Amino acid sequence: MKILVPLKRVADPDNANKVKVNGGKLETTGLEWKPNPFDEYAVETALRLTENGTNPKARQGEVVVVTFGPKDTETTLRAALATGADRAIRVDAADDALDGDLVARALKALVEKEKPDLVLLGKQAVDGDSNQVGQLLAEYLGWPQATFAGSIQSEDDKSLVVGREVDGGTLKVRVTLPAVVSVDLRIVAPNSVRGKHTPPTHAYADGVRFAALMAIMAAKKKPLAEVKLADLASDTALKIKYTGFELPPARKAGIKVKAVSELVDKLKNEAKVV
Amino acid sequence: MANLDALGVDSRAVSQEDKLARALEAVCAVTTDAGDLATYGRDWTKVHEPRPRCVVFPKTTAEVAAVLRVASERGAPVVPSGGRTGLAGGAVAASGEIVLSMAKMTRMDEVDVTGATVRVQAGAVTEAVHHHVAPAGLTWPVDFASKGSSQVGGNIATNAGGVKVIRYGLTRQWVLGLEVALASGEVLELGGALEKNNTGVDLRQLFVGSEGILGVVTEATLKLTRAPGEQEVLLFAVPDLPSVLALFREARRGPFVISAYELFTDVCLARLERHRSVRAPFTERSPCYVLMEVEAADEAALEAWVTEIFGAGLATDGVLAQHGGEARDLWTLREGISESLSATGLPHKNDISLPIARLEAFSGELASVFSSRYPGWEIAIFGHVGDGNLHVNVMKPDAMAKDDFLAKTKEADLELFRLVRAHGGSISAEHGIGLLKKPYLHYTRSEAEIGIMRDMKRVLDPKGILNPGKVFDP
Repeated sequence: MKILVPLKRVADPDNANKVKVNGGKLETTGLEWKPNPFDEYAVETALRLTENGTNPKARQGEVVVVTFGPKDTETTLRAALATGADRAIRVDAADDALDGDLVARALKALVEKEKPDLVLLGKQAVDGDSNQVGQLLAEYLGWPQATFAGSIQSEDDKSLVVGREVDGGTLKVRVTLPAVVSVDLRIVAPNSVRGKHTPPTHAYADGVRFAALMAIMAAKKKPLAEVKLADLASDTALKIKYTGFELPPARKAGIKVKAVSELVDKLKNEAKVV
Repeated sequence: MANLDALGVDSRAVSQEDKLARALEAVCAVTTDAGDLATYGRDWTKVHEPRPRCVVFPKTTAEVAAVLRVASERGAPVVPSGGRTGLAGGAVAASGEIVLSMAKMTRMDEVDVTGATVRVQAGAVTEAVHHHVAPAGLTWPVDFASKGSSQVGGNIATNAGGVKVIRYGLTRQWVLGLEVALASGEVLELGGALEKNNTGVDLRQLFVGSEGILGVVTEATLKLTRAPGEQEVLLFAVPDLPSVLALFREARRGPFVISAYELFTDVCLARLERHRSVRAPFTERSPCYVLMEVEAADEAALEAWVTEIFGAGLATDGVLAQHGGEARDLWTLREGISESLSATGLPHKNDISLPIARLEAFSGELASVFSSRYPGWEIAIFGHVGDGNLHVNVMKPDAMAKDDFLAKTKEADLELFRLVRAHGGSISAEHGIGLLKKPYLHYTRSEAEIGIMRDMKRVLDPKGILNPGKVFDP
């Protein structure tokens, strides 16, 4: 199976205190970056689908990762190559010259060129939380889609059984390949992904694998191609226009009350919550 | 208080106790609230029942001195108290002492960027100092898990260690000047802000690590250094302890600056995994793991070094954090251990250090002594190998009763300490002596040394009011 995994880097949310807004624009210089966690889950899922979990070094398919952004986003691609992806593509673009629709249209052109059996991606990026690219891409391709996958079972090369995380439970759907699948948190639980090559008794470690040191070095030699955004999308106009950014207001300091009765009084008469 | 007679009050009716309380109240805030007494009367050791007389909260050095004068006059014992994160009972008040809390002494002066120093009061929280000096591109490199509660004065009084000792050394090396209040109420200024000051015996260092028995640190001039650059975090799967040490030898000569070299065994990792969900670093288990944090690694040089390490078979696998989030995940594997041991069983903790060259021989003997004398006991070892410091945690076998286990650990400790002494080590590497290790001080310090300590105590605190019963008996 050939799987295409689109990746996005996001500002490390644990360094949120460093985010600055300058003239209504986000200041991105100096931010620490990390891959969007849901995209990391997508890479992990793609690896699990295309390997024998008991001997992950022997690959049983191809995983291609792609990202959109300036040269330094190649760090994100190299990290994915180090965990096992086979090759990478960077679509050259400035961070603020992209939106979900443009990315989906460019991915459509890339999919037509690469002809993967499956596009696997995170259900959303944790920066904009737009939750659009997977759905738009499936529509533009005319492919079946299964969003919010918490489990995937691959029985043959023609279809997947996907357990979708929905309100109140799991909805199991069978999608015919080629298809677009977006993944949710539980996809990286030990038994969530059932590939063809891994024995059903094999349980994975919970979560995403680390990149081994030797693999990080080997990843430097794996192919990483650069593509111009204009070669994939003739119209690079954005549909989403951001009118401004501002930081959330600083929290006010709390107060100390002397007695429970005072607390109750304040909850009733000041906060008006009881 | 002196004019009670003038007011016509029969002074004999005012008990000594009341007089002391009033004298203290005249100086600063005092509490005798039961909840406060329980909170301020103990540290992170939960062995002793807290029973202080009261807690006082001075705001200035003059108030600290006044409290000490009052206590001295009446022979009332005083326990100096910081963030109370100690692990040896040094800040425990279990016998009606006055707890002298530095919690209200949190002033931090402007950073002297040219001299790379900052003057702070003893109650400044370690992490607050880090935040205070960070905008100047500087740091006070005293760093450990409890930095959000621990205070500068306590760090100094215990000569605190932590995870960065391999690079920066102990607290001792990052204190230029000290202001100390003696038991008599006299205040000494020691060292000032001088890097160089070769003028007789260095009294400042006498107070560093003295656990509050010689004087009370009220202010300090801290030495700062530039904040470290980008750090790489690596984790290695290592087949055995000799390889851990061989890897350390290679790392010392590696093309980078080591800021942490931490060992934990698979016993620790298994306990961690039993307690909480963690990201497994490797597909296959290994007897030992080493977490290494390095700075300013030239990437190509680091890779060449890593290739050599694997070539020499010192590590069977290794991972490198790809971003800050992964670095934190790897650190969790090391820093989560202590909590997980307590959550999954009953650990008996020891904090020992050895000359690094003796670690291998010591560990071999430790394993054979324990497997023969205490079969079935699980030993979880982790620690700062780079400093020769091991945290040896003996876990209670599930089938053994708690009292039985606690009784046996006393006997096992003696075996452990005998081994430590035989190899020239210390029975308390960074936790101090306090109350818990007092009976074992002689395993590391000679009678002559302890005698000199007693003499010094008598000179500086003739009435023996400062932290009595800690470190050694009078």
